[in-house]
Amino acid sequence: MKGQSIALLALGAGLVVFPFVASDYLMVLALRVLMYSLIVLSFSLLVSQLGLVSLLQTTFAGLGGYAVAILAVLYGWSLPATLFASVGLVLATALLFGLVSLRASGIGFMMLSIALGQMVWALSFQWIDLTKGMDGITGVAAPIVAGLELGDSRQMYLVAGTIVVAAFAASHVLVSSHFGLLLRGIQDNEPRMRALAHPVLRARLVLFLIASLFAGIGGILLTWETRVITPVSLDLSRAVWVLTAAVVGGTGSLLGVPLGVILMVTLEAVLSQYTDRHLMIFGAVLVFSILLLPNGIAAFAADLWARRHGPTRATVAQK
Amino acid sequence: MRRYLRFRTLGLFCAAAFMITPTQAQEELRVGVIGNLSGVFASSGTTMVNGVRMAVDEAGGKAGNLPIRLFAVDDEGNPELAVTRLKAMDTRDKVDVIVGPVSGNIGMAAVDWAKESGVPVVVAYSAPEDITMRKAVKNVVRAGWSGAQPMFAFGEYVAKKGWKRIVMVGQDYVFPYNQIGGFLKTFCRNGGEEVIKVWHPLNTTDFSSILAVLPQADAIMYNGAGGDAVAFYKQLEEFGLRKTKPLLGGSNFFAVGSLPAMGKGTVGGLSALQYSDSLDTPQFKKFRDAYVKKYNEPPMATAEHGYVAMNMVINAVQTVGGKDRAKLIEQLRKTNMPDAPRGPVRLDDYGNPIQNIYINEVREVGGKLLNVAIAKIENVSQFGPYDAKTYLADPPDSRDFPPGKCSDPYYKKK
Repeated sequence: MKGQSIALLALGAGLVVFPFVASDYLMVLALRVLMYSLIVLSFSLLVSQLGLVSLLQTTFAGLGGYAVAILAVLYGWSLPATLFASVGLVLATALLFGLVSLRASGIGFMMLSIALGQMVWALSFQWIDLTKGMDGITGVAAPIVAGLELGDSRQMYLVAGTIVVAAFAASHVLVSSHFGLLLRGIQDNEPRMRALAHPVLRARLVLFLIASLFAGIGGILLTWETRVITPVSLDLSRAVWVLTAAVVGGTGSLLGVPLGVILMVTLEAVLSQYTDRHLMIFGAVLVFSILLLPNGIAAFAADLWARRHGPTRATVAQK
Repeated sequence: MRRYLRFRTLGLFCAAAFMITPTQAQEELRVGVIGNLSGVFASSGTTMVNGVRMAVDEAGGKAGNLPIRLFAVDDEGNPELAVTRLKAMDTRDKVDVIVGPVSGNIGMAAVDWAKESGVPVVVAYSAPEDITMRKAVKNVVRAGWSGAQPMFAFGEYVAKKGWKRIVMVGQDYVFPYNQIGGFLKTFCRNGGEEVIKVWHPLNTTDFSSILAVLPQADAIMYNGAGGDAVAFYKQLEEFGLRKTKPLLGGSNFFAVGSLPAMGKGTVGGLSALQYSDSLDTPQFKKFRDAYVKKYNEPPMATAEHGYVAMNMVINAVQTVGGKDRAKLIEQLRKTNMPDAPRGPVRLDDYGNPIQNIYINEVREVGGKLLNVAIAKIENVSQFGPYDAKTYLADPPDSRDFPPGKCSDPYYKKK
């Protein structure tokens, strides 16, 4: 337990020190890692707590991104109004989609999530008056929040980093709470939880809303960072990217999320620099990592730790 | 001991962070090339890079006395990723200038990035007009075209052919709007009567519902490209409509890459572009022969555009005698290239080329289907027959603007 606290402290210190020692280039990658961590966290929470494979999480990120872009660029709304409406749109859509899809589980749920995601994707390039079609919306200015210029990578890091740490802390609390226990109970034996008069659908819906909120915020930050949102962000391939990051990192613990995203972003950046065949190598690396580390990097690291220091709470909980 | 280990790990991380930071740049011209190098549209990006490499090789690997170093990256057709890669080329590779991209939406995303970073960008093939119009910034110039530009010439050509009613089937998004927009603005002022517009969503594979009720007209135009275009063409043949009417295309409809899939029935199809697969000039032949020798295939338009874009950079560096950013941008904007393979290229005040437009006809040359130039219209700008102010006073082209009927009061104005 003591070792874990020290590790967490070191991690925290690393996050604080990072913007002071990192080059501008590493800042670019770090921001990408932070923002995608929110989206992958959103996916990972649903898998680990409810066993739901939701390919809708990039859709919520894209909705958040489209909402801030459309409201700020096309309608010139102020920042608070834009943010309020964007987050509201993400939550309202999540509520609607959740009510439609959360009665299903397993393959059924996954298919519903794909179908709903494809609907939004089709809308994004066919509702041209609003979304500008394939060209998407460009020129989204990064706003100034509480005196911090989000156009500057280090100030953006401060804001995004704080949000990410808060989201992970909140997820940790949620997972270890009674509510988390209820969720895992539903995952293990839904009929029994129903028989015990637990509000199964409502519990699922609450987690779905929380997860979608994380994804939506990730998408908003990503749009501010890249200044652009296009239908590509809602493409199924982005959802598969998120799924891969989550699986490679490991959905058994929250730590798997940043590990998976760091690996994916680094691979993308390094491989694309040296070869046009990067997508093939990328695929091969992923196949091997899934074959050799079926529970993800996080579980592998926890195993190593356990061998040297005795089991941690995380590994015990997994077994 | 354990604590020591942890500090060591932290130290290693920091060291790694510093190591990745590039060492002080040597005196060389660092050129970032961005294009779609993977996926369905990979050929457009790779041929552009081929053109860039050929320009560098011809210059002996040097611009002035600066050795050229290329950093080619893949945008994967994803604007969000493209911006990240552009940032990486700026911060990691410390590039002096960017050449590319090819796709429209990535060009639009790149302009926003360029505006903030200040890095000079020579857009190779990406054609949204706002790159050099409503969003024009000083450090972005174009080696290619705007969507409406070749269609200004085409509209006039078609009207003068005596085809007065055109039925157009087009992909429902901004680029085809811009193409038919340019077409209509000259078509209607040269005796045309009407363009009936039928829009279909992107990624349509079945056109039978459209073809079954296709209105009567003097000619059929398909305003789009890629897989949709091939599917449309195949079904046009199946419906027996190919031979009954002249077939016109948007600028990318009869792309050399799609022609083999469409087949020999395309012979006679007409379209317009600032490039042609076959021109009878020494500059073009020299370029084509050198390209075929190097890459063993005829150069696509994207290859020539990459070649011209890179040469714009080399010429500017040579004239400036260095790579000072402000001077380089100044010089790039003054680009005047009388001997480009496609013909003379000089930039307007907004940074877009004023150039020849060719009316191309699909012909079979030596067993290959190619777009052969049958007419040339000189000195066409992105504003067509208008000056910048008049053109920009109109709203941007959309589904319904400019109007399809030439009797509309809009055409009476100017």
